[in-house]
Amino acid sequence: MNDHISRRMTTFILITASVILGFYGFSLLRERAGRNTNPYAYDLEPFRRSDSANVLYSETGFIDFSGQVLTALCADPGHGLIVAAGSKMFRVDTINRISEWIPADEPVRCLAVDPERRVYLGYEKSVGVYSPDGSRLDTWQQFSENAILAGIAAGRDVYVADAGNRVIYRMNREGRMLASIGEKDPVKKIPGFVIPGSCFDIQISADGSLWAVNPGRHKLEHYSPDGDLIASWGHPSMRLEGFSGCCNPTYFALTPEGNIVTSEKGLERIKVYSPDGELRDAVALPGQFDEGTVGLDLAAGPEGRIFVMDPSRARIRIFEKGERE
Amino acid sequence: MKPDEKQPVSRRDFFRDGLRGLAALGVATLSGLLMHRSVSRRTVWQIDPDKCVQCGRCATDCVLDVSAVKCVHAYDVCGYCELCGGYSKPDAHRLDTAAENQLCPSGAIRRQFIEDPYFEYTIDEAKCIGCGKCVKGCGSFGNGSLYLQVRHDRCLQCNDCAIARNCAGEAFRRVPADRPYLLKGEQGL
Amino acid sequence: MKKVTSLSGSKPKWAVLLTAVVMIFMAAQWAAAENRFPKPEFESAYQQPRTTTPDGRGHVFEILDMAVLVLMLILATVFAHRRRSRKALFVLTIVSLLYFGFWRRGCVCPVGSIQNMTLAVFNQSYAVPLTVIVFFSIPILFTLFFGRTFCASVCPLGAVQEFVLLRPATVPFRLSRILGILPVLYLGMAVLAAATGATFLICRFDPFVALFRRSGSFDILLLGLFFIILSTVIGRPYCRFLCPYGVILGWMSKLSRFRVSISPDICVQCRLCENACPYGAISKPVPDDPPESRRTGVRRLRALLIAAPLVIMLMGWSVSLMHPLISRMHYTVRLAEQIVKEETGSTDQTTLESRGFRASGNDPGILIKEAVQIRNRFRTGSWIAGIFFGIVIMGQVLGLSMVRHRNDYEADPQSCFGCGRCFESCPRQHMRKAEK
Ligand code: SF4
Ligand code: SF4
Ligand code: SF4
Repeated sequence: MNDHISRRMTTFILITASVILGFYGFSLLRERAGRNTNPYAYDLEPFRRSDSANVLYSETGFIDFSGQVLTALCADPGHGLIVAAGSKMFRVDTINRISEWIPADEPVRCLAVDPERRVYLGYEKSVGVYSPDGSRLDTWQQFSENAILAGIAAGRDVYVADAGNRVIYRMNREGRMLASIGEKDPVKKIPGFVIPGSCFDIQISADGSLWAVNPGRHKLEHYSPDGDLIASWGHPSMRLEGFSGCCNPTYFALTPEGNIVTSEKGLERIKVYSPDGELRDAVALPGQFDEGTVGLDLAAGPEGRIFVMDPSRARIRIFEKGERE
Repeated sequence: MKPDEKQPVSRRDFFRDGLRGLAALGVATLSGLLMHRSVSRRTVWQIDPDKCVQCGRCATDCVLDVSAVKCVHAYDVCGYCELCGGYSKPDAHRLDTAAENQLCPSGAIRRQFIEDPYFEYTIDEAKCIGCGKCVKGCGSFGNGSLYLQVRHDRCLQCNDCAIARNCAGEAFRRVPADRPYLLKGEQGL
Repeated sequence: MKKVTSLSGSKPKWAVLLTAVVMIFMAAQWAAAENRFPKPEFESAYQQPRTTTPDGRGHVFEILDMAVLVLMLILATVFAHRRRSRKALFVLTIVSLLYFGFWRRGCVCPVGSIQNMTLAVFNQSYAVPLTVIVFFSIPILFTLFFGRTFCASVCPLGAVQEFVLLRPATVPFRLSRILGILPVLYLGMAVLAAATGATFLICRFDPFVALFRRSGSFDILLLGLFFIILSTVIGRPYCRFLCPYGVILGWMSKLSRFRVSISPDICVQCRLCENACPYGAISKPVPDDPPESRRTGVRRLRALLIAAPLVIMLMGWSVSLMHPLISRMHYTVRLAEQIVKEETGSTDQTTLESRGFRASGNDPGILIKEAVQIRNRFRTGSWIAGIFFGIVIMGQVLGLSMVRHRNDYEADPQSCFGCGRCFESCPRQHMRKAEK
């Protein structure tokens, strides 16, 4: 072959080869520009970063439960807290020292203490009743096949919230069913509970009336012991005054002053409302929790202290008004 | 070389015959050995919904113009909520089917009233691009009943799945072809 | 913030470990409990739909694929050895292009199957589909006996290039020998990547598969277009200068029992075929008396044999030096590097991957340990790959230095694709036809 053509050919081929090889190497090793952001991101950041100016609470400490998977929390007025971590039970005294308490039969989903300090442990389909010193008094098993007990509150009577049947049972202390509360009833103008997730919290207020959360409707509902709907409030909104997502609030607690502390999932927020639904304060905002934290059970302590069970960080976090570090 | 020029088998030919025999034997043995664990376990690509972090690459990286990954709905895990984190934009003003309130960038989710207070959500797979936005929304606020799956009627089963190699959750894996989905809810048990 | 009190004081290591195990167990339990939620009870006659699970293509196609492969191999062999018909071979090429290319969309192909086989050898939990085994081994077996008739007209990648070749230009011999090293490097890297479970390089950079699918990422489509344009003037650039399967087939073809011949009976030395091959596979006759003396030849051989081990080890060593770079082909290594960068604060930019990893809540320590292990595997692997390159390169040099006596124009079995172009250029072919 003609030498001149041959040399041109060689050059051409060498250039081509280096282009191809360069391409291979480059595309193998480069960080592709723009590959670092998701064009379809579901962005909650603007809501998570909500203004913290009007938060008057601050975290003043925490009770460390490292290694435990926390499942339920309630206040034992005058004596501290009772905490469930699966089927392990703990007590926390007034100066926040932890001691192990009785072992439960199965994972505890909810719990309550009555004025005589008897403790009621809600399992999936039964309730265990214990004396203050931890001896078993009774086990209630009269719940139906598809029951999923998710909330319990104890006053003169004991109320048990069954998420599976979307109803609250009022029982006496011996475990006899007295009434069913909250079933859909157009005559009594009761809308019925909508429980899309697994949360169905209830509490008894000082006057013996019942508060229940209706998460699917983003409402708190106030019932008389006979099951009449006294009031209800709450509306869906990502903004601070509403309840976010599709099933919120998840948990709530009543403060000694009669205010209502609520917790939400999705946008993890803790807020205080007046009994008629007016937003009083924000206690904690999403930025203070790990994203995706669920199960923020609450208890209200003395002197305005709010205890928040944080399963993601395995601790009970303490929030107090005013005092900032 | 002339054909009539009969040659004795040269050393080179002998060597070649031997090597050829060896090579053939080698390939056959290798195939036989690997075949031993092949036939019963043909595999296809699938997403493990528990690992998926909705990075968006399912929509962008599939070799198909419209991804073979689609959102699917585990109805028995769904709460049938009126306010669906997967359907409505987080800042939706109203809970209706207006386009500006819908989260899905391609309008692939159908919302249908069943009875008070329940709404059914269905994915129109022809429209879904597999971006996972709704999956994230549903997972953040709801029960996680929306999730992504490789749809085998669309997937080409690339030898080297283009999404799998960039999946930020390392959620892609090869699953046996006779159980080609990793489903949530009762169907997954 | 003051920590008020702690449950777990200082515990011995095993206790921490035990707690961790218990915790994982309990977390699973807890998650299970958390998933329990009440199903809506519908009063209307609403029927809850089930998630649909559409099937992929069934087994039938796979069996068809294998059958078509074998049938086409037989036909190609007959056309190249018996019928000696370029036309028939070309028709077969088009069939392959249509069936394996556009209808089956180029997947699975024997070229890519190298990686599946490798992965299966190195990863006990990976099961190769039967089709892949067949696609890998049958063309090799055919080549061992009949030369590269697979390349002639069964391979869809070869078919594309064959189809668009308009004005073949000659690649200078020396250059083609040097570029001929590339497929070996590619093969080595692809096997390394597959063996370490990093990626399937060959599939990833297959320039034509995007064309067959008529969709794909932009850069691969661009690459494909580039190759097609190149193929119009340079015969089968992918086959000759990149295809890793071609390396294997080339070696097998050297051992083949029957060879594609330009003229099966006698060569009349008319030199008409000299430029007939667009792939530079026709070797010219070499005169009996080599121009150099036997002594210089022997001396050179001795020098080469002494240099060989050195060159081979040098190659091994130099490739192993690059293993940190090469190991970045593996996702885990890339991720771990990013995580380390973030932890040490040498970057404040997170990536989608690192964010995904954090969201998964997995332990960075475990990830990094895993990445170190993978990187070590890459170090071993790149030593082996380097040694392999060294051996092949030395083999080439040795082969070039040993001049072999040749009487006639012959097709070099290693680089002959059996396309049949030279058949027509040989006057003997026409004479034979006339004789019949
Ligand atoms: S690429 Fe992986 S993590 Fe990203 S959306 Fe798809 S499955 Fe999920
Ligand atoms: S949001 Fe994305 S994944 Fe969900 S339905 Fe729409 S396109 Fe599909
Ligand atoms: S295997 Fe191919 S077609 Fe299927 S999801 Fe992955 S990239 Fe898409």
